[in-house]
Amino acid sequence: MSRRSLIAVAALGALLVVGAFVGIVIATSGDDDELVVYSARSHYGEEKPFETFSDEEGVETRIFGGEAPELYERLRSEGDDTDADVLVTVDAANLWRAEQAGLLRPLRSAALDRGVPAGLRDPKGRWYGLTVRARTIMRSTERVEPNEVTTYEGLGDPRWKDRLCLRSGTSDYNISFVADQIAKRGEPATKRMLERWMDNDPTILGSDVDVLNALADGDGCDVGLTNTYYLGREIEEDSNFPVAPVWADQEGRGTHVNLSGIGVVAATDRAGQARRLVEYLASPEQQQVLADNNHEYGADPDVEPTEEIAQFGRFKRDPIDVAGAGRHLDDAVRLMNQVGWK
Amino acid sequence: MEVTTAVRGGRTPIARRSRTRIDGWAATTILVAAAVAGPLVVLPASFVASPGALSDFAGLLPDALVATAILLVGVGAGTLVLGTGLAALVSFFDFPGRRWIEWALVLPLAMPGYVFTLFALGSAGDIGLGLATVRSSLGAIAIFTLVLYPYVYLLARAAFLSQAGDLLEAARGLGMSRGRALLRVAVPMARPAIIGGVALALMETLADFGTVNLLGMQTFTNAIYKVWFGAFDRDAALQLGTMLVTITLLLLALERFTRGRARYGQSGGRGSESVRLRGVAAVAAFAGPLLLVTLVVLAPLVQLGAWSIDSIRDGLLAPEFATAARNSLLLAGMSIALVVGVALLLAYGRRASPSRTSGAAVRVATIGYGVPGSVVAVAVIVPLGWLDHRLDDAAGVGLLLTGTVVGLFVAYTVRFLALAFQSVDTGLERVPRSLDEAARGLGSDRLDVLARVHVPLIAPALLTAGLLVFTEVMKELPATLLLRPLGGDTLAIAVWQATTESLYETAALPALLIVLVGLIPVGVLIRLSRRVAS
Repeated sequence: MSRRSLIAVAALGALLVVGAFVGIVIATSGDDDELVVYSARSHYGEEKPFETFSDEEGVETRIFGGEAPELYERLRSEGDDTDADVLVTVDAANLWRAEQAGLLRPLRSAALDRGVPAGLRDPKGRWYGLTVRARTIMRSTERVEPNEVTTYEGLGDPRWKDRLCLRSGTSDYNISFVADQIAKRGEPATKRMLERWMDNDPTILGSDVDVLNALADGDGCDVGLTNTYYLGREIEEDSNFPVAPVWADQEGRGTHVNLSGIGVVAATDRAGQARRLVEYLASPEQQQVLADNNHEYGADPDVEPTEEIAQFGRFKRDPIDVAGAGRHLDDAVRLMNQVGWK
Repeated sequence: MEVTTAVRGGRTPIARRSRTRIDGWAATTILVAAAVAGPLVVLPASFVASPGALSDFAGLLPDALVATAILLVGVGAGTLVLGTGLAALVSFFDFPGRRWIEWALVLPLAMPGYVFTLFALGSAGDIGLGLATVRSSLGAIAIFTLVLYPYVYLLARAAFLSQAGDLLEAARGLGMSRGRALLRVAVPMARPAIIGGVALALMETLADFGTVNLLGMQTFTNAIYKVWFGAFDRDAALQLGTMLVTITLLLLALERFTRGRARYGQSGGRGSESVRLRGVAAVAAFAGPLLLVTLVVLAPLVQLGAWSIDSIRDGLLAPEFATAARNSLLLAGMSIALVVGVALLLAYGRRASPSRTSGAAVRVATIGYGVPGSVVAVAVIVPLGWLDHRLDDAAGVGLLLTGTVVGLFVAYTVRFLALAFQSVDTGLERVPRSLDEAARGLGSDRLDVLARVHVPLIAPALLTAGLLVFTEVMKELPATLLLRPLGGDTLAIAVWQATTESLYETAALPALLIVLVGLIPVGVLIRLSRRVAS
């Protein structure tokens, strides 16, 4: 092989590498002046409050969407080199994970303490709830009377044999629910409840929407467990959608409520702007915008629910014990595998 | 055939001559092989690094084994029966419209499993099928069978057509009925091809992530995703990946083995006289396959089209749709240059400096075809992530590899190099070696010869390779999902994300685009085979 061709091969290889890098720069370059937000809420078309923040504060924001666990994993593996300034999750589990991994920076802010009730924020100010999401019993209005089931335990009643529908056990909402039950009732009681649910041979479906549609269609589904905003979306499309929520455990602890939250990334180099974004989004006005967009409830109890979910009535909330449930996340996964909630 | 023999014959002396030293071209092939297959070393290494990682996930492994076994048996049986049956139908029988049916039956190749799943989940209610029915092992087996049977169909058909007709005649002369003769003579003779096709279909099943994830099957790819993003344990993910690759490589070996035998098993006949079907039989022979293609390709296209229109009208289009489309096109386009370029280097390197070493290098470099995308992703991110943080510590350049598309391109190269290599290499083999020698004799060096003689001559093969890579990258889901840089959502990701949320209308337009792009290489394949046939 001649020297000339050796050089040419090397040049060709180098060209490929350079080409790839130029492509990378084109494809992924961001502006250094932007505030980078890792947001698990991006699927729901919820960039509006970010846009108004940019307009009002003159700070450009760039939102990177993804599933909450994926964003957490990314943040963790990027470590100090991350571009992210703010993390937004759709559940408490990933807030807790990020907090435990030291990825979030504590804030002290009177405004935040006013806008977000204690219990829905980290005592050390590393994360704040924006909206809350009730996970409760759903019933077919055509085949189930309102008072036939009133508690989570009640879903284990033999009358729901072959009539219960659940989302898959890999769903973060279900895992958080179970972890919270373990934290509050203890593992043996939670296990008994789940075993009785499983004795009813529940139909396992892929999403909360599928559960609601199966309840509407019959399909061997008369009662289920979903977040309420999915029902809000269905009712927005079809006001006669034949499914209604049952507020679970109103005589007891209240209905399980998970939260979508926000925190400032520890490795940020724009702490001031990031903090302003958190304060902006956690303000009652923006909680209202977020809640309206997706039929959720605000962290602030004064936030008005949308018309579609206001008809469900008021209910006693049992906010997720973030620290307690967080510690039991692994136990929850193990327990669900044990009882066969696939 | 003559060309190949001549080339094969001419290889030996060159091989003998060049075994003595490793020249630049041999070094190139070895380097490429090391770079492409290198990351896969971390798979078995994970067992050494943290031996007990999987023990935290008791139950996951047995579940994955059972679910995978059920799928493999079901899809194996399904594609075997459907693919062979349809191939026999169009090979041994004649009916009005056969020439159309013959090629229409290939079209499901353009339908990715997760897109058909989106269609099935979204329209299950309309045809009175429960969601739970679709989301069952049976549903998954049906979906995989419907989109993967063409692998068996194509190979079985080719085998049937090359069989000597007189053998069938002889069997009939011995008193067998026509059906019996087919089952007892024609099908056994085509067995290597059929098994090869089934092995390919099963490899695709094993590599799939989108379909099993959307249907809630607890298979290996789903388990890998679960331990990575549920428990954040990469070692356990690597170990699950190693087991999955072992199963896949066994299938690959089976396929290679049977293909090797297929070459000797065929008798080079011109096929038998086909039987003309009449009346009801002719109508059924035409309508059956037509119904199948309507179900697998036409109906989803129409439904996706209708949903797309809904989504545009109701403003339900994913907000990142335009970005996703741009990203898909950019990634797929740039992959053509990268993957086909590397394939050309590899193929030409072996030709320029043939030796046992370069042959082995080629086999190593193309092994990634048998490695599922999600496994490639874990295998790529671990070494790249490590390198990335070292690089950043040393030079402070930020995360150049894992934070950008570099990781993705590495994964695409590992995964699809074999595909491009096969086209490019077949093209190169058709160029007589005497041309190389003549050009060298006129004073050109190897690279000159490559640029001025080979590349123009094998342009069609390069185009085919590029097209295959382009469509594969367009529809690739698991590796892209796990490795994409932030903001790097693609059409495939958009489909998957919207479908997991049951937002079928939002998923429709990106899915439609993927299928339409996928139809292009299938169309080319059909045209090419038609030309060969006539």
